Amino acid sequence: MAATAHLTLEEIRKGLSWRKQLDKVFIAIGMALLFGCLAILAILFFDLVRDGSSRFGWDFFTSFPSRKAENAGILSAAVGTMLIMLVTALVALPVGVAAAIYLEEYAPKNWFTGIIEINVTNLAGVPSIIYGLLALGLFVYQFNFGQSVLTAGLTLALLILPIVIVATRESLRAAPKAIREAAYGLGATRWEVTKDHVLPYSTGGILTGLILGLSRAIGETAPIITIGALSFIAFLPSSPVTGEFPFLNFEWLMSEFTAMPIQMFNWVSRPDQAFQANAAAAGAILLGMTLAMNAVAIWIRYRFRKKISW
Amino acid sequence: MNTIVDTKTANKPRQAATMQGETSAQGSDTPSLSIVMEDRKASRANPAKASAEKLNFWYGSNQALKNINLVIPEHQVTALIGPSGCGKSTFLRCFNRMHDLQADTKYEGAITLRPDNVNLVGPETDPIEVRMRIGMVFQKPNPFPKSVFENVAYGLRLRGINNKTELAERVEKALRGAAIWDEVKDRLNDSALALSGGQMQRVCISRALATEPEILLFDEPTSALDPIATAKIEELITELRQRVTVLIVTHNMQQAARVSDFTAFMYLGELVEVDATSKIFTNPAKKATEDYITGRYG
Amino acid sequence: MEADEQAAAAGVMPSKRAPGGAGSHAGSDPLEGHTSKTMDQSLTELRTHAVEMGGLVIDQVGTAVKALLDRDLRLAELVLSREPLVNGYELRLDRDTLTFIALQQPVASDLRATRAVARVALELERVGDESKKIARFAAKAGAASEHDPVVAVARYLRHMAALSTTMLRSAVRALDEASPELAREVLALDKELDAEFATAIRQLMSFVMEDHQFLRATIDTIFALKGLERIGDHAKNIAEQVLYMVEGERPGRKSA
Repeated sequence: MAATAHLTLEEIRKGLSWRKQLDKVFIAIGMALLFGCLAILAILFFDLVRDGSSRFGWDFFTSFPSRKAENAGILSAAVGTMLIMLVTALVALPVGVAAAIYLEEYAPKNWFTGIIEINVTNLAGVPSIIYGLLALGLFVYQFNFGQSVLTAGLTLALLILPIVIVATRESLRAAPKAIREAAYGLGATRWEVTKDHVLPYSTGGILTGLILGLSRAIGETAPIITIGALSFIAFLPSSPVTGEFPFLNFEWLMSEFTAMPIQMFNWVSRPDQAFQANAAAAGAILLGMTLAMNAVAIWIRYRFRKKISW
Repeated sequence: MNTIVDTKTANKPRQAATMQGETSAQGSDTPSLSIVMEDRKASRANPAKASAEKLNFWYGSNQALKNINLVIPEHQVTALIGPSGCGKSTFLRCFNRMHDLQADTKYEGAITLRPDNVNLVGPETDPIEVRMRIGMVFQKPNPFPKSVFENVAYGLRLRGINNKTELAERVEKALRGAAIWDEVKDRLNDSALALSGGQMQRVCISRALATEPEILLFDEPTSALDPIATAKIEELITELRQRVTVLIVTHNMQQAARVSDFTAFMYLGELVEVDATSKIFTNPAKKATEDYITGRYG
Repeated sequence: MEADEQAAAAGVMPSKRAPGGAGSHAGSDPLEGHTSKTMDQSLTELRTHAVEMGGLVIDQVGTAVKALLDRDLRLAELVLSREPLVNGYELRLDRDTLTFIALQQPVASDLRATRAVARVALELERVGDESKKIARFAAKAGAASEHDPVVAVARYLRHMAALSTTMLRSAVRALDEASPELAREVLALDKELDAEFATAIRQLMSFVMEDHQFLRATIDTIFALKGLERIGDHAKNIAEQVLYMVEGERPGRKSA
């Protein structure tokens, strides 16, 4: 056996072809698995669409739920979902970003902060129904917010908070040290460095994180059931914007609501087969909304990445 | 014997009174030697701008600087040289308290800034205040991802100067001071990242100059640049000494020789020797310095 | 500055150099135009000092010969008193060229120029020594008489002094202007100087064969003539240094 590392061209070629084979095998396996998963997702989607195809139409979007399947629509559910998402975003974004800034820039690096960090990441794994129970006790009864849009929004905000915090932290960390040093070198305070340089750089990542969080929240059923979303809402919460001073109305926050997942769940549970189509249609729409949100996240990330190049 | 021959482009008015050899002999005294031997080099008579006194520094439990005593003369360029790990960058960063951005660092001793005798590394001194008086230029050019104008104006905005005319004036002054005004004056609102490496570094220098610091620190400012950009920046540094006091760290000894008035050699956290650059590079006093400079080190 | 006066008197003034910025080569000095103004200035200063020293030394030569021919004791003493100045210049240029190399790391043409300046300073210092010797001779020579060997070869002395100072002047100007043409002129004149020397010696030989009285003075006169011939050689060396500086090669010298 040759003990040297030097190989003849023959030997190199022989060994190389075997290694290249292995390479190709891995590529094949990877692609198979990937397309397998995508295929499952696609089949699911098309199944939903096919099942619910009879219901798609302007009426479906603009009708309230009704006892008759043909007349039932998702208006209140869709509006409810959107209002909840609005509250969730408005709460999760500042709280999450502020928490991430504190943890990343300000907190001293000691064991206590370490524990906090571990717990924040763990919170992402807490079953969502626990959040529902927490919300029921705290928001609904203790704070007396009632079974309202506000409560749902707050609950879901708590749910996606860890996602936002982690995404924000990752983005903050990605801001180059050189820029921070330059800003500090000019005599900036820590807040000025964060506000003027780090945050603008991280905006893409933060927004992406937020939207990913929202796209998860949009489908969460357990917590909002727990806090008591009703499923037969034949009215809309009052419009946030009115024609008279002060032009902003907050009554809608306290009103009862329903959401897409709830509506779907309700329809699926009905014995009447006709409602299955409704459920399928609603499901397809929900899936579509989620995919759309993800697409927006990707687009935002792309745009920000292009503008700021290091 | 007539020794007069007219030569080209005489520029001294005395030329009109051309003299024969003997006339000059009759009229003059013996010229003194002192005229010939006059020293054109910067004198050490410059007062100190800052002085490090018994300065020690620790990263955690690791002592990086040991009992440094060094005077930084005003309006001169002082260079710090030494092998990797000798502490020159560590020492430099004490001047603007950059170490405070890391955890577990400790200063001991003093760096006294004249004329008000503030101790730059004292616990009672606010690091932000220090950084507002001492500027820094870093190794890799690091302009903000903003326009050229905003880059230079940032330090001024931090200091509360927001008036458009005043900002424009000061930004122009700073860019001129860094010898880059002509190259960027039509591109003030374009991104600073679109410039070449050498230009970016000069914009960073203007950014630091805009706030009129008392000392300007350079941390290996040209090690990431090509020779032409390097030459321009070296030329700039020698000119800057009229306006600021300069402290420069460089691992390129020849650069220290070209650019500085005083050179300090550091080794393993200690100051081995400091003297006028011309002395250090022709006849250093310590063998350790000589070994390092001639490449007999390590 | 008084050395400038000497330079002016000797008719050699450092040429006014255009302030060199980076890349402003057109027309002005090819050795300027560095990005680093310090380097420009230092190099220019070196050459300027060399030229000043040249002016001083040229004047020394002329004055020393005049002192000898006119039996002027005062002129002789002037030359002797200025000798330390010449040495001072050499010391300073020696030190400055070394410092310049250490601090600015010149290469190529800059390095050759620096080296040329250092060697030219040495040559000029030796010319100064020769003038000193002539002046010493002038100082101890008594009043002129008819059978004076100096008188016998006076016209040769005069001519050789004129030639050698012309050669020096051209050589120093060649350094100042970095002109190979001027340098070559100097090389050409050397032959004439050697011929003049040979003739003068022959004249002296016939003089001494007629009259043995002034042997000592004759020997000193020979040394004076030889000194002037050597001055011409030094001028030639300076010219060769200029050619090396400009063209990068030492002309003529054949290696073993």
